[in-house]
Amino acid sequence: MAFSANLEMVDSEARITLEGELDAAVAGQFRQAIEQAVQQKPQKLVLFMNNLQFMASAGLRVLVFAKQHMGSEVAIYVIGAIGPVLNTLQMSGFQQAVYVQESYP
Amino acid sequence: MVRQSIPANLAALSDIRRLVHQGCQEVGLDQAATYRLTLAVDEIATNIITHGYEESGLSGDVVVSIERTDRNLIVTLEDTGIAYDPRTRGMPTAEDLDKPLEDREIGGLGVFLALQDVDHFDYQRCNNVNRNIFGMNLA
Repeated sequence: MAFSANLEMVDSEARITLEGELDAAVAGQFRQAIEQAVQQKPQKLVLFMNNLQFMASAGLRVLVFAKQHMGSEVAIYVIGAIGPVLNTLQMSGFQQAVYVQESYP
Repeated sequence: MVRQSIPANLAALSDIRRLVHQGCQEVGLDQAATYRLTLAVDEIATNIITHGYEESGLSGDVVVSIERTDRNLIVTLEDTGIAYDPRTRGMPTAEDLDKPLEDREIGGLGVFLALQDVDHFDYQRCNNVNRNIFGMNLA
């Protein structure tokens, strides 16, 4: 499945739906969605990952970029991530920096 | 044994992952181990393409070999980019991994994930060729 990152603003929330395989070749698309979201000054970033089948460290780097550009007060939610993606977040120490939920809200 | 030469560009990463995935399926590796091996190979292939070739002004191929031994599935990546042993890179410490995201270094996680994810890893440099060798135990 081709990668896609679709941003939707709902009130003060930036909601991004990630689908497909997130590797270094396509991480720029995710980063672009984050950059668009930053301009909207959201209070919360919600990432829907139900259909994200693969995430390399390039995806983690975009999460760091998001936190550094949105500010520490903007909470990041990871919704519906599959086990191996959650495992990558956990191994990298990211799980304690984001809110992990099966569904949203 | 599968042996395939793939042009070293980031768009080819998905082809490399597909080859590894097929190799895992053929030997009956479980889903979790398949994902871990695929991620490890993807991370090192990304480094080879980005640092070994592109940033060094070089071009070339990544040769992917997959073979089964009695006890292991072995994936080997060969390239002619600059010499680089991933094991020499400093790994993030527990303290690093504990830092808030906004204080994180942006790099270093790829090699960390790669080396953590496989059962065996080796690197060799012979005749100007880098060989990154990944092994997964078979049940």
